[in-house]
Amino acid sequence: MNDLKRIGLEACVLIAFGALFGLTLNYQLVIDAFSGQLAAPQRQSVQESVSVVLPIPVLIDEVQQVIASGGMIVDARSPELYAMGYIAGAVSLPMVEIDTELPAFLVRVAKDQTLIAYCSGFGCPDSFDLGMRLIEAGYQDVRVFEGGYPEWRDAGLPVAGESQ
Amino acid sequence: MKRFFYHLFRLILALIFIYAGAVKMQDVVAFASHVAAYQILPYAMNYLVAATLPYMEFLAGIILLLNARVRPALVVVGSMTLVFMVALISVLLRGLDIDCGCFDPSGGQDVTAGVALLRDVGLMILVLLIWWLRASERKAERGTRDEETYS
Repeated sequence: MNDLKRIGLEACVLIAFGALFGLTLNYQLVIDAFSGQLAAPQRQSVQESVSVVLPIPVLIDEVQQVIASGGMIVDARSPELYAMGYIAGAVSLPMVEIDTELPAFLVRVAKDQTLIAYCSGFGCPDSFDLGMRLIEAGYQDVRVFEGGYPEWRDAGLPVAGESQ
Repeated sequence: MKRFFYHLFRLILALIFIYAGAVKMQDVVAFASHVAAYQILPYAMNYLVAATLPYMEFLAGIILLLNARVRPALVVVGSMTLVFMVALISVLLRGLDIDCGCFDPSGGQDVTAGVALLRDVGLMILVLLIWWLRASERKAERGTRDEETYS
């Protein structure tokens, strides 16, 4: 029993050392994450340098600023997910129906409008793909909110849809 | 023979975890995006996990490699593997189509949850085998010492 206790204790010490090691090297990232500054520094610098062709990633507070200054939020998820819940004020432009929906969007939205695309958070490619299609369609200021609907909802910011 | 397999399996497991930790340490943010794709943790917690987990993997691997404090290292590795398995089962049950992010967080491998789960089962077997081989080895050593004492 004592042997098992010792093993357990040493395992806990090992985990603590590992965590301490990681936190020492990444404390800034963790602080940024918990204070809502969830940017990926490396990603930003890479994408900013080629922002002529790629949509620019933005943080949650930048999304709020863009909404406040009249920018448009575009939901790239399926119509079913959009109906269940979306960022308040966002319009639906599902990536799965982009070929049929984009022409009407082009007529409705001016090319100098600031657009922010989002989908279901990290691991979901639709917001980026939609951003690319919008740039190809001639929009000059297209950004991507990588945290997407989950981050917005978890931050307690305004949402709309059936779940409300 | 048991000693040979104990060291062989220990080295294999050590190198797997050192590699897994080292590649994720190269791009913690990319790894955070993989953790977030599991949709299990609150948003900021994904970053905390990404900032610490690779270092735990790396350290446990180093301890195994050094053949010191092997059992605590096996407990850590086994516990982490168990947590990964639970997360992967939850992904499969929810029908999420994500890359497991187990090794290369830059997405160069694209391993599905099902394949990753099978791989984790293999790792767990390896952990148990090493534990058993080490216990057998120690038992045999003790037996030999006793024989020498009483002869």
